[in-house]
Amino acid sequence: MSDPHWLTASEAARAIAARKLSPVELMTALLERIGRLDPKLHVFIRLDAEGAMDAARAAEAEIISGRPRGPLHGLPVGIKDIIDVAGLPTTCHSKILIDNTAATDAVCVARLRGAGAIVVGKLSTHEFAIGGPSFDLPWPPARNPWNMDHHPGGSSSGSGAGIAVGLFPLALGSDTGGSVRNPASACGIVGLKPTYGLVSRRGVFPLSFTLDHVGPLTRTVADSALMLGVIAGHDPLDPGSAAAPPGHYASGLERGVRGLRIGFIRHFHETDLPADPEVAAALENVARTLQGAGTEIRNIRLPTLGEFGAVNRVILQSEAWAIHGPWLRERPGDYGQLARRRLMAGAFISAGDYVQAGRRRLEMIATVEDALRDVDVLLCASAMDPPSRIEDAAETERTYPRQARTPFNVTGHPALAMMAGISSGGLPLSVQFVGRYFGEATLFQVAREWERAAGTDEKHPPVM
Amino acid sequence: MDKATIELLARRAGLDKALAEFPEDVAAAAEQAGGSVARMKAPTDPRAEPWPPMRAGGGL
Repeated sequence: MSDPHWLTASEAARAIAARKLSPVELMTALLERIGRLDPKLHVFIRLDAEGAMDAARAAEAEIISGRPRGPLHGLPVGIKDIIDVAGLPTTCHSKILIDNTAATDAVCVARLRGAGAIVVGKLSTHEFAIGGPSFDLPWPPARNPWNMDHHPGGSSSGSGAGIAVGLFPLALGSDTGGSVRNPASACGIVGLKPTYGLVSRRGVFPLSFTLDHVGPLTRTVADSALMLGVIAGHDPLDPGSAAAPPGHYASGLERGVRGLRIGFIRHFHETDLPADPEVAAALENVARTLQGAGTEIRNIRLPTLGEFGAVNRVILQSEAWAIHGPWLRERPGDYGQLARRRLMAGAFISAGDYVQAGRRRLEMIATVEDALRDVDVLLCASAMDPPSRIEDAAETERTYPRQARTPFNVTGHPALAMMAGISSGGLPLSVQFVGRYFGEATLFQVAREWERAAGTDEKHPPVM
Repeated sequence: MDKATIELLARRAGLDKALAEFPEDVAAAAEQAGGSVARMKAPTDPRAEPWPPMRAGGGL
């Protein structure tokens, strides 16, 4: 068996079910690793070692007595610190909520626990999922395990860094403008933004009601499918929840891709935001590889990234202002500077602009739907550059918006980011696949083919 | 957006404290908002409605 920290969730679940690995043994190994690496990586806002070990002992007893809870029995999971876990703080990485303790689990957390997962702690984020990386907050920002001088992406920074370095096999993040897919891209792992409404947002601190999604971060495509199968499902108390039954997400993982049609959105990285040459070459390599596996690659044109980005920002800034206005009026000094600047922007957007963005949004949805009538999956860039140096604020400010993730928050289509290669500087490069509404199974099918061909699931950060 | 307009809008939004303590951040926020709105294209169809729909049951 591999080192426990490099076991995938699927491997660990099988080993636990077969009694070849005990939940206590797994948790002990991971807590030792967390103790050694977290002081350098700052993945955790709050580590709940005691609670996690208690839960691991209970999980072990349940396995011994033949009462497994579900497919994630005994698996450690990290939770982004904007998502409620009963009895633990939800600070949103901010002084504003420094004393806030959650009374109940968010629905997604309750579903994970119901399936047997064990919460190991709360993870670093950009402040309120928007302001970061910042050095003026109560906790430092997480760092990239591939090179600690670099940003691990955000806003689900701790989720991405912790998965990549093997601190836990499963993590939850949230994605309003790319915040699951960005750390997945920067850390060389798999991050899924599901279809809007597929995963309940109840118990997740909002950033932008109509753009917010909750999604899994994992080291493999199969683990992403496994985790989505647990957290997906209608929640009648979440106004944005879709009344759609969860799918069989792992059903096509090993089916191959022969006969599928893939639309390659080259203009995103060729002309809209010209990508780093290594990123562009990696994307072409993904397309060639999938073509070699039997897919048909077609060129697709959508509105420009500039247009998508503007609509995303007008909606996000307006909705975020509606949430944060009271605190920004009374306690502006309790925000870090980045969050303060970004969250106040909505005060300067008119109601008419917000409605116009919604109207343009519907047209953009129609355009993407048209494209997906002719192809099964879209392929495009995620990040246009390798991750920036975390302390180079100007470089982070320049590269952070150079991405192709926001279009699919605007339209709500499912989108998955994963490793496309490794740069000459030793940092992950990324690719993004986009599917039809509730078409996550096909998305996983294509992503798995690329993972198998490139061996991305076997690439880990240098040993630390 | 000129300084007087930014101050007017900020006060109208109740951001007096931020204006006093972090005037540069208020100006930066106004600039971000202005940039986003300026880059947004108007809908092409005058009958285009917004998403999410303005009627119940019209989601995904």
